[in-house]
Amino acid sequence: MLFATLEHILTHISFSTISIVITIHLITLLVRELGRLRDSSEKGMIVTFFSITGFLVSRWVSSGHFPLSNLYESLIFLSWALYILHTIPKIQNSKNDLSTITTPSTILTQGFATSGLLTEMHQSTILVPALQSQWLMMHVSMMLLSYATLLCGSLLSAAILIIRFRNNFHFFSKKKKNVLNKTFFFSEIAFFYAKRSALKSAPVPSFPNYYKYQLTERLDSWSYRIISLGFTLLTIGILCGAVWANEAWGSYWNWDPKETWAFITWTIFAIYLHSRTNPNWKGTNSALIASIGFLIIWICYFGINLLGIGLHSYGSFTLTPK
Amino acid sequence: MPSPTCYLLLHPSRACHRLLPPSPRLPARCARLRVSCDVPRQGGDGGGAPKRGVIPAGSGKGKKQVVFFDAAPPVAQQGDGEDGKGEAPEVKKDGAALRALRRATKRTLSVLSNLPLAITEMFAIAGLMALGTVIDQGEAPSHYFEQFPEDNPVFGFITWRWILTPGFDHMFSSPVFLGLLALLAASLMACTFTTQLPMVKVAKRWSFMSSGGSIRKQDFAESLPRASIQDLGVILMGAGYEVFTKGPSLYAFKGLAGRYAPIGVHVAMIFVMAGATLSATGSFKGSVDVPQGLNFVIGDIMKPKGIFSVAPDVFNTEVHVNRFYMEYYDSGEVSQFYSDLSLFDLDGKEVMRRTIKVNDPLRYGGITIYQTDWGFSALQVKKNGEGPFNLAMAPLQLNGNKKLYGTFLPLEDSDSSGVKGISMLARDLQSIVLYDQDGKFVGVRRPSSKLPIEINGNEILIEDAIGSTGLDLKTDPGIPIVYAGFGALMLTTCISYLSHAQLWALQDGTTVVVGGKSNRAKIEFSDEMNRLLNKVPELVSVGEQTVDNKSSTA
Repeated sequence: MLFATLEHILTHISFSTISIVITIHLITLLVRELGRLRDSSEKGMIVTFFSITGFLVSRWVSSGHFPLSNLYESLIFLSWALYILHTIPKIQNSKNDLSTITTPSTILTQGFATSGLLTEMHQSTILVPALQSQWLMMHVSMMLLSYATLLCGSLLSAAILIIRFRNNFHFFSKKKKNVLNKTFFFSEIAFFYAKRSALKSAPVPSFPNYYKYQLTERLDSWSYRIISLGFTLLTIGILCGAVWANEAWGSYWNWDPKETWAFITWTIFAIYLHSRTNPNWKGTNSALIASIGFLIIWICYFGINLLGIGLHSYGSFTLTPK
Repeated sequence: MPSPTCYLLLHPSRACHRLLPPSPRLPARCARLRVSCDVPRQGGDGGGAPKRGVIPAGSGKGKKQVVFFDAAPPVAQQGDGEDGKGEAPEVKKDGAALRALRRATKRTLSVLSNLPLAITEMFAIAGLMALGTVIDQGEAPSHYFEQFPEDNPVFGFITWRWILTPGFDHMFSSPVFLGLLALLAASLMACTFTTQLPMVKVAKRWSFMSSGGSIRKQDFAESLPRASIQDLGVILMGAGYEVFTKGPSLYAFKGLAGRYAPIGVHVAMIFVMAGATLSATGSFKGSVDVPQGLNFVIGDIMKPKGIFSVAPDVFNTEVHVNRFYMEYYDSGEVSQFYSDLSLFDLDGKEVMRRTIKVNDPLRYGGITIYQTDWGFSALQVKKNGEGPFNLAMAPLQLNGNKKLYGTFLPLEDSDSSGVKGISMLARDLQSIVLYDQDGKFVGVRRPSSKLPIEINGNEILIEDAIGSTGLDLKTDPGIPIVYAGFGALMLTTCISYLSHAQLWALQDGTTVVVGGKSNRAKIEFSDEMNRLLNKVPELVSVGEQTVDNKSSTA
């Protein structure tokens, strides 16, 4: 009971803080840049990070196993992974456009986890025999970290596409109305943030096209780096899963739907990485592939779980449905 | 003072000297250049095993060539040259046929290693896999007749013919899918041999740039007025670069392993595919449902999966199920399944005894025994003190997730037409639900409680619940190869994240022109460069150092 209350409090703290943080982001985006507000949003992110870590730890302690046994816990872990992605560049003190992606993503995943799912799913469940392994921690955490990383990277790529293919591109647009109409489209937000930082970093304003170019180049480079990292994590995650499957299910590859979709995700991002080696395809084409990858990750992560098919559907006590 | 024709490793100063331990041993003669280029790399910044594995092979070949540092000769020319040498004697012997064959091979290789083709293959494979999860797999043909009827096609054109003709009802073993995988494997190998391995030769070459112009053309370029190239070298070494100087020019690189690792990734993929092929063609599989206390011979249940499946001697081992039991959570859910197994050889000697559970299989002589399923075999019941009788349990609910078993104890003579008796139902081995002869619920008993229950004037005592264990057995000769591939794949993808950064600098009077590029982390690279170049001290007055620089430039 104590743990339940604690978890309850922590989720609420983190969720309300992240809501405030995103409001601040919107205000600074739409109205004007306020240095103090920006600082407080950073503090807010730290508060949410610690409360969500606290949530996971208390779950771990109360249930006695790694808190990744159902969809709710995995969503919370996904938001936590996004926080980590948000925090790492801050520690290294390198400025990038990631926070514009991570902050709204965390509120989406966490909001969905706390309000979108049935409350019955919030209960920590017992671990079915097939999940009782040390591999659970390695495999599932790696998979979720890689999902978070790949989602961020592919969103950056989607932002490139939007910037490239926007007609009537008003770079120095001062029409607030125009901005307001479009800001609630998520990638637009990311784009406007990125635009502003590009403006700030450039010393002398010149051709709009030059900034557009510079911005897309930077986004491209970051999305490549982040997707490479995510791809590495995904590879490790899938292979750990394969080794685990060889211990638990009797074969390292079963063509189970979830497995297959993870492999499809892997293939898509492998295509992305290869498309980058061809100078003609670099840019728009590879960004398109990464954006496809974004959808594929969601199918892999969520679609399969919703359908509840295959060996990865847990919750019943049968071992292997045949 | 280094002479212009000799290449000296810049002597590290003060704090940096531990970075390059082999530097004092470096020969300062041009003829040994290849060696001097390889030595620091091997003792380099902790690259993994693939790096070490790749370089010596390449360096052996490299020594044959006279390499100059200004520009690497184009790869294509090299290949042509070698092929030309190889062809000449053979033409005399076998004539046109062989030459045609050679040309065909070469053309096939170049077609296979084509990147767009490889990408198309990957897209096709991804698409087929997605299809494989959408279409129900492994059903009877009638299922597809029903689901994709001819008179009402899905999307207006997909009938069962579209599914069954290419074998999409068993996608992952269909010839189309396997053929595509084989094609991808061929592309992988072709790409490794025609594109990646020659790249090693190019990347191995470390080159100085002698003109400021070509340095300024790099992705990152900067000129530092009143700076010394030696200072730059020391700072670069402090940042983990391998630094080489030759008179006024400097070359530095970092993360060379990151350039080689993708080759390792491809090789590892080939390993995994080869291992998987071996698994698919050379393994045995079998599954068995054994009641507690009974035994079976491994060879009886194992079925070969492919043409290379060779039965090992251990197949005559006999497995005895000593005990099957489950553990439960407080809530009544199963927490774990256990089977206590004994293995006996032909002479009846026990060779192994182990308790297996899910996630903890038994391995013996190449055979792996998994705990995968369970069943309810029989119920031992005493009626009015008689017995015990063994009542066989029948599975009642085959579809759905929860299992249900039932049995029946007749109370009257079985000759009469309407036999009445006691029904017993169980979801697991833990609790038995009993119903009287009218079908009314009477009570629940646990086999362990030894508590009798009174039904229709009969005293029923449930002595024991006998479970049966569902075991999966397999042999898989592909596992070691696949696991080797897995390990290599993990390692090399991690190393691939490293970025290969190269840097050139030239002392031009008192100005140092710096240019560099990185194959992956472009932004981080220019950030790092800006940070490092800011550290390069500016020589304000015309002191000794400046004089030194000038003399070394001269």
